[in-house]
Amino acid sequence: MYQYDDYDRRIIVERAQQFRGQVARRLTGEITEEEFKPLRLQNGLYMQLHAYMLRVAIPYGLLSSTQVRKLAHIARTYDRGYGHLTTRQNIQYNWPKLTDVPAILDELASVEMHAVQTSGNCVRNITADHFAGIARDELEDPRPYCEILRQWSTFHPEFAHLPRKFKIAMTGAPGNDRAAVRFHDIGVRIVENAQGERGFEVLVGGGMGRTPLIGEVIREFLPKPHLLSYIESILRVYNLHGRRDNKYKARIKILVSALGIDEFRRRVDEDWEASRTPALELPDAEVARVSAFFAPPPYQVLPADDQVGVIQLGRDRVLGNWVSNNVDAHKVPGYSAVVISVKQPGIPPGDVSDTQLDAIADIADRYSFGHVVVTHTQNLVLPDVRTSELPRLHAELRALDLGEANANKITDVITCPGLDYCDLANARSIPLSLEIAARFDRVDYLNDVGDVSIKISGCINACGHHHVGNIGILGIDKRGEEFYQLMLGGSPGNDASIGKILGRALAQDEIVDAVEKVLDRYLEIRESPDERFLDAVRRVGFDPFKVAVYGSADPLDAGGD
Amino acid sequence: MTGNFTEDGAVAWRRADGTWARQIAEAGLFVDEPTAKAAATRAAAQEQREICDPYGIEVHAEGGAIDPLTARQRIRANGPTIRLRRPDGER
Repeated sequence: MYQYDDYDRRIIVERAQQFRGQVARRLTGEITEEEFKPLRLQNGLYMQLHAYMLRVAIPYGLLSSTQVRKLAHIARTYDRGYGHLTTRQNIQYNWPKLTDVPAILDELASVEMHAVQTSGNCVRNITADHFAGIARDELEDPRPYCEILRQWSTFHPEFAHLPRKFKIAMTGAPGNDRAAVRFHDIGVRIVENAQGERGFEVLVGGGMGRTPLIGEVIREFLPKPHLLSYIESILRVYNLHGRRDNKYKARIKILVSALGIDEFRRRVDEDWEASRTPALELPDAEVARVSAFFAPPPYQVLPADDQVGVIQLGRDRVLGNWVSNNVDAHKVPGYSAVVISVKQPGIPPGDVSDTQLDAIADIADRYSFGHVVVTHTQNLVLPDVRTSELPRLHAELRALDLGEANANKITDVITCPGLDYCDLANARSIPLSLEIAARFDRVDYLNDVGDVSIKISGCINACGHHHVGNIGILGIDKRGEEFYQLMLGGSPGNDASIGKILGRALAQDEIVDAVEKVLDRYLEIRESPDERFLDAVRRVGFDPFKVAVYGSADPLDAGGD
Repeated sequence: MTGNFTEDGAVAWRRADGTWARQIAEAGLFVDEPTAKAAATRAAAQEQREICDPYGIEVHAEGGAIDPLTARQRIRANGPTIRLRRPDGER
């Protein structure tokens, strides 16, 4: 993985030192909260309902075991013994004291980590396919380009005060988008053109939040050397013309939508032609230099069927189920990608304790060349596990309560912090997620229902990605009390779609029953066990599900569509 | 009136004597909105070192018990409704 050079190290250490001074002035009252707020937000420090929250950047989700141990240490020493994996591959701490944050930033800097640009109207953490570098369906590893974008965007003076936050995601697997690139301000797909040359397809104007939109293609094929200059032009046009009078209309998707993709493209191209200079072109040598940091680890040459032990899988149903659900194909024969589910019964989704983090770091060293990846689905990936070691690894994970066999199943719920923590939320998310996990935690039912994504957000900002859940749940406030809208039909991948509201909002004690009714109806109407939930919804429409939940498909009964 | 303590971000409740408590049970009550707003403005100016963003909320008060009227403020008063790894925050 990428190693800081002197420049990277210096700017992060200096930033931590600056913030130490700013915190000191805030604590003496020399600066007010109003003056301090923009400073703390630039360092990832929010004020939530009960405490400050510090969001730590994890570029493209990749962590070394040394960094994981440091995150454990911070959780244990400065917080309440856990961290929370976010839906943008970061980790956040829910209880840091302001007085401790400078020390935390020093600790992070010591392992080449920081919290800058995890908040505020700037380019946020660059996210990527969590199987980057190892997926069989990948054309090329996107992480070197993500790292180049990270370096370019960090403290970029022109883009420090954008109209609104800005999120970029990249995938190198054009046939299987696991990074939801169509729902980002800019999505980048590594593609091949008709001549067999590699380049980038660039999408713009996607997003969730209060106005969910699927990104549109602004450039079908961008030659690699132009990555920075072209993205810089997109950001410049947005910076100049994006709305600043209304924060709800300030994201780039609103500008793209207002201008239309053709006019937006014209403006970007105009700027690009006028502004691109050789200085912004990516030299092959620089790409090669950064790519070297992501060179494959020293894999052994192994047979493709390195005896996971078909016999053992057949004998051990728990292991077999976990391998079936949580283990993915790897491009190197004899190796597998393992999804560690951080969705354990009774524990908030994505919460991982200090002892678990320490143990995961040790496991990563022993099984996966010391690397761990955070997924946007709030789980962890061990990218390079010898297939023959899966049984032993699974036993170790189970001992840590991390052996759930539910990846991509209905209990693998994406959940925002909701009203239990978040200052923006209208309703709680985590209790619903826990109730769903408890209600459906039956192996046969999970496997029968198959891959169904449930995503829960506690407010319209959509941190829980409810718009792209096969089943989405949105918390709303009705006269100070919590209600929930049920949505069906969303998908974040290559078959991207935005879910639609099924009917009237439901009370907290109704919503999980409604999810069960929807799933039961799906089991009744699917054409075969191979027909996915999403495909069934697309085939039959909403009426059968409205009848299941509301007793009628009549809009007056269901409360409108 | 509520806000968050600057030092650790904990939920703060203003006592009747103008000092700040960590328990809603100790909060002072205002019986009309203009008085509460004036107090919030004063607190925002004079107590900004100790407290971030003070503001008034509506509560039901009976028999010494204070119950906020919204889910948000009830959760602020009582803490997250889900299990925490280390609820007491002790180090």
